[in-house]
This record gives sequence, structure tokens and C-alpha cells, in this order.
Amino acid sequence: MLKKILSVLLISIFILPVAFAAGEKEEGPRTLTIGVWTREGDTNHWRADVAVEAAEDLNAQLKAEGSNITVVAEPYIDGGDWGGFKKKYALAADSGKAPLIIISGHEDIATWGAAGYIEPLASSISEIKSFSDEFNDVKDNLWKSASWQGKIWGIPQDTEARPMYFNKTLLKEMGWSDEEVNNLPAKMADGSFTLYDLIDTAEEAVEKGVVEPGYGYWHRPKKGGDFLQFYVAFGGEYYDADSDKLVIDREALIKCYEFQRECVESGVTPASYIGTEWNIWHDVVSNNKALFFNGGTWMWADWAKNYVEGGEATLFKNIGYGYEPSGIRGEKGITLSHPLVYLVSSESASDSNDQEIAKRLISLMTTTERNTRHAVESGHLGILNSQDSYDEYLSSKFLSSTGYLLDNNVFQPNHPMYGIWYDSFWDNLVSAEQGEKTPQEAADDAITVMKLELEDQLIVK
Amino acid sequence: MKKINKINSAYWFILPAALLVILYFFLPVILTVGISFTNMSSVTGFSNWEFNGIANYIKIYLHPDSLSIFGSTLVYVACTLCFFNVGMGLLVSILAYHLPRRIGGFFKSLWLLPRITPAVVYVLMWTMITADAPYGIINQHIIAPLGLNTKNLIPENAMFFCILVNGYIGASFGMIIFSSAIESISSDIMTSSLVDGAGFFSRARYIIIPQLKWPLLFVTTYQTLSLLTSFESIMILTDGNFNTEVWSLWSYHKALNNYYGNFQYGFGAALSGVLVVVGVIFAIVYLKFFKFGELVKEPLIDEM
Repeated sequence: MLKKILSVLLISIFILPVAFAAGEKEEGPRTLTIGVWTREGDTNHWRADVAVEAAEDLNAQLKAEGSNITVVAEPYIDGGDWGGFKKKYALAADSGKAPLIIISGHEDIATWGAAGYIEPLASSISEIKSFSDEFNDVKDNLWKSASWQGKIWGIPQDTEARPMYFNKTLLKEMGWSDEEVNNLPAKMADGSFTLYDLIDTAEEAVEKGVVEPGYGYWHRPKKGGDFLQFYVAFGGEYYDADSDKLVIDREALIKCYEFQRECVESGVTPASYIGTEWNIWHDVVSNNKALFFNGGTWMWADWAKNYVEGGEATLFKNIGYGYEPSGIRGEKGITLSHPLVYLVSSESASDSNDQEIAKRLISLMTTTERNTRHAVESGHLGILNSQDSYDEYLSSKFLSSTGYLLDNNVFQPNHPMYGIWYDSFWDNLVSAEQGEKTPQEAADDAITVMKLELEDQLIVK
Repeated sequence: MKKINKINSAYWFILPAALLVILYFFLPVILTVGISFTNMSSVTGFSNWEFNGIANYIKIYLHPDSLSIFGSTLVYVACTLCFFNVGMGLLVSILAYHLPRRIGGFFKSLWLLPRITPAVVYVLMWTMITADAPYGIINQHIIAPLGLNTKNLIPENAMFFCILVNGYIGASFGMIIFSSAIESISSDIMTSSLVDGAGFFSRARYIIIPQLKWPLLFVTTYQTLSLLTSFESIMILTDGNFNTEVWSLWSYHKALNNYYGNFQYGFGAALSGVLVVVGVIFAIVYLKFFKFGELVKEPLIDEM
């Protein structure tokens, strides 16, 4: 009884501010309004806006089939941060007012799938690929990011990589030959240039006065998924698909934290660096002030447009990129990809049973031309095989030269408790890098919190 | 009979206010405490949760971060309160009283600027002021010319800046209350103290401050409770990094806003529940310390 009262009170409090029309039902001919939610407008607006023209194609198809349904796509671009956007969707879904389609990070699949907000789209990769030519065109390795508990829950919308960038001009100032500079990406890829080689090179640059102290290597300055790849670079495992549990490897975690601390102690990263404002970070890395820096492929377009005189031509002249080097000599370099995915709300979340039509709309939003338009404009990597030979996509030199990074990428796990895992990982990474804790203490504290908060959902190695 | 009617009508008058208090003050507390005994999260949604007893409170007790976050909270609240919200507010109001009225007014209005500036703009301004050279004003124009090493100042002195930034916003509240209270002190007393030869410090110590017991109780209690639950400027300034995660921010991060969107409503509510208890304890302590009972006693002249 108490539970019921509490439920009614909670839902009634949250329903009021989250009223959003997701679908309408009528007898006979009817108009189906499909909400398409995403966040971030600007160069990413096509993620949702492309639904409008896709709906026109869908209506033509439906008409040809003799259907009495007319689809109206209603894109909505949220201007807040990811946390607020996800909260808004969760509240809307819980009150049955969610849009039929939401575009969000693939890691939301497990949380929203467990909550019943979204529904699986197919029970296997082959099944989803057989749904349409567009889905069949999606790169095979991306389906892994859209899978959870053996089913396919989302359709990849875009992806990216997080290369290790290096400044070619500064390397040459250090005495590197053109050949050595040009060979660096291959060495990063095959494990002959490791993360500790990176520190050594950056230290040398500081000693030679090529860069200011603390400007040898700049990683991401604020919280973000990127740091997982450093843990993986030292052999860390984070997910066991068989048991659907998260994993933490103490030794790899210590090595990862030791590396972060070493960056500061060697003087290649500033002692008080985490928290640096993004505009400062972009200015430093794109204007020949830092030797190595780790960022996303999507930043390239921003640097060219907003930070560098001479735009992309200047960037190509000064900056090179490759896999993030491994922390272990001989191990391949990697990169972290974070595909956004189209997700379809369940009947209870959207108060609509038109999930199949939503799937068809997503398919038409995933054509080579439409997805390429988004990829080129926003600096994201393509998700379709056909884009590898599509002129519009190939016309972007940067995108076509970074696509290979997806050959050895990792994804964050689709597990509902991953956020909690990551919070502990990040909080203690900051403490280790700042020198507030030794890497061992930080690792032990991270594991203690993970054990407490994840309970039986964690495997400690 | 007449007395009973009088009491009944008093209840009717108080009813609208009582309803508002119940709806907006008691009900949220009851809901929060109720949720704190559940496993409610993004995974369970608002429909599939279950009661889990005091599991969330046990988790808080066992959590390795609980003690350090509680300590950070106490440091943050105590320092902001002592040095700014009460201390600075009192100092500014007393100093301004002793200045010519116009200059004092100007002086006081300067302290209102941080409060009327939008919090996001104000805090981001601080991040730019403290940024490393050549971007930050302090580093570029003060530290670098002295030949000292420049650095991003916030990570190394995070709690100091959290207190400073919040204090500048909060000091004006006490300043306004104290100023109006000082103005209302009988001019006979103030003038006679001067006639008796009291200097600035003696007058402040023996005349002004004793007359401010009520406003001091109010500002101290109100600002303590307010600081215990305020976190927005810390969130913008450090997001809880560098040992500045205070209890209310921890609760917010767990329950309502984290990077990956798995909100732990139950655990976050338990954290809030602890904060309610701590707030009540502080309020009781203050009432005892300031001898609230004596302050609300009827004046002796009425008893006679």
C-alpha cells in the first residue's frame, strides 16, 4: 500500500513538467507523430533533423503500400548536458510520454533496457541486417556496441575515435626527420612506441626547450569516457560478457594510475592540470604549444573553424595522429569509440505501438547520403561500409584518413552499473594524478568503492 | 467557550500557511525519507523498485568516501559561515555604519554584485581569473611578473576557492540583515556610548553585537542550513574534484546527475536524509547556544 502511494505521488510529481506528445492514435486514416530526441545542435543537428526528410520517403513508401498512416517527424534537440538529457528521457519514459526515437550513447542501452524504457530491435545481428539494405550496410564491429544480453537494442548513428595527436612541427624542431615523423602512427599502432616512450619524448622536448614545461603531453582535461582506453592500454579488462558483470583488474589499474602520475612527475603535464577550461585546452593543443595530446576526432573540425589560422590546411601541416599507444611494448595501439545509437522506446514508455514504423524511419535516416552529410559536417566517422567508397565522404581528408582507427577500437560496456564503475575509476585517477594518493592507494580505494556499490555485479582480478 | 472559539478561528487563519508548509516542506522530506528505504534507480524506474530497508544507510556507513566528504562539508560550511556569511557580513555592516551614509551605501552595494550576477557567469569568471598563464589574470599579471611559477590555481587550492567564491555571494545576505538591525538600535544608546568614551571596537563589542542576538541567530541558522544543501557553485567550479565533493553534491551526483545517467535515487535520497538529520541537529544546537528560550520570553514589562 505504502509502495503504491509512493509510486503515485512520485509519478504525479514528475508527469506534469515532462509532458511531450509522442504519438497519437485514431481510427481510420491517422497521422503518426514520431518524436526524435537528441542533444547538441550546431554541427550535430542532422542527428535529429534528418528525420523530417526521411519521413517524406517513409510516407511515400506507406502510400505505395496502401497504408492509411501519415508519419510526421518531430525532431527535438536538447541544449543541456548529457546528464540532464538522460534524466529528461527517463522521466518522460516513466510517465509514458517518451518519444518513439531517442539518440543517445550506446551505454544507455543496458540501463534503459533494464528499466523497460526501450525495446530490443532484433535478437541477432543477422536479423537486424536483414531488416533493410541500410542496416545491412552498417559496419559489423559497430553492432557490438548496440548489443546487450544477446540482443540488438540500437542502430549506430555515428561514431568517432580518440587518436593520440602529435605535433609534427615540434617533433621536427626536436630533430626528428620527416620519415621518423611519418612512421610514428605505424609505431603507435604496432606497439613499438608505447605510452612511456611518449613520456620520454615529451620530456626531451621540455629539456630541449621545444615546449614549455608541462606542455609535453595534454590529456583530456575533464571527466569523460576517454580514460578507459588508458586502463585498457595497460591490459585492463572491464567487462565479462559471459556473466554480464563488470571487471576490475588491480594490476592494470595501478599501472594506469602510475602512468597518469608519471606524466606529472616527469614534468610533461602540469601538476595542477585537471579542470583546465576547454577553450584554453583547444587553443594550446591546436596552436603548436603541446607536443602530444589525446582528444576526439570530432575536435578537428572545431579547431579548424574556431582556433587555427589557416584552418584545416594549417592543421594538416602541423598535426599528425594515430592510435593511442599501448602501455605494454609490442601490444597494439587502440582507440575508444563511443557510437551514438538510435533507440526505440517501448510501448509503455511511449504510449505507442508503432515501433516497427519507427524502425523503418531510422532505416531511412541511415542512408549513405544522409549519414555522410552528418559525418562530414560534424567531424564524426562514418558507420556504413558504403561510405568507404562514397565520394562525399572521401572528400573529407581527415575522416577518410582516420577511419582505419576503428579496426582496433574498444567500446565502453553496455552494463547498467558502468557509470558507478567509471565514477570510482575517475575519482581515484584524479587523486593519483594530483598526488593526493599513491597509485596503489588510489587503486585500492577505487576497488573498495566499486565492491561496495556494485556488490555482486563486479569481478575483481 | 469564547476562548475555544478564539482558538478555532486561529486554526482557520493558520490553515493556508500550514497547507503550504505541509505540501512543500514536510511532504518532500517524507518522500525523500521514503525513497531512501528503496532500491529505486534508473534501472528500476519509478515503477519496479522495491523496499530494501536500511541498506542504503548501511552503504553510507560503510562507504570509504563518507568520512572525507562529511569532513569536507564541515570545513566548507564552517569556513564560509565564519569568514563570510556571518563574519564578513557583520564586519561590512559595522564598518559601513561608521562611514558617511553615502559611502557606506556604496560600499555595501558592491557586496551585492556577486549575488545579482548569474551564478554560472560569476563562477566561470573565477575559473578564468585563476587559470594558468597566459590565460588567467592572477597568474599573468600578478604571479608571473614576480618571477614565480604560474599554475592553474583552482586544483591546488580547490576548497579555498570554493569557500571564497561562495562566501562572496553569501556575505551580502548577512550584511543586509545586520545593517538593518544596527540601524534599528536606539540612537540614544549609540550616542550615549560615544559620550561615555567608547571607541569603535568597544562600541561594536559591547553595544552593537549584543543587540544583534536575534539577527545573528537567524543568519547563522539559516545560512548553515543553506550552505549544507548548496552545491551549485562548487559543481561549476570543480564538480566535486580535488576533495571538494560536499555531501549535498554527492547526493546530487548519485541521484540526479552523473555522466552516464544511471541515477541512484534510493542511495541519493538516503544521503539527503542524512543531511536533513544533520541540519536539524545544527538548528537545535544553535537554538540552545543563542538561548532561544530567553529571546522569545515576554518582555518583563509585559509580565508586570
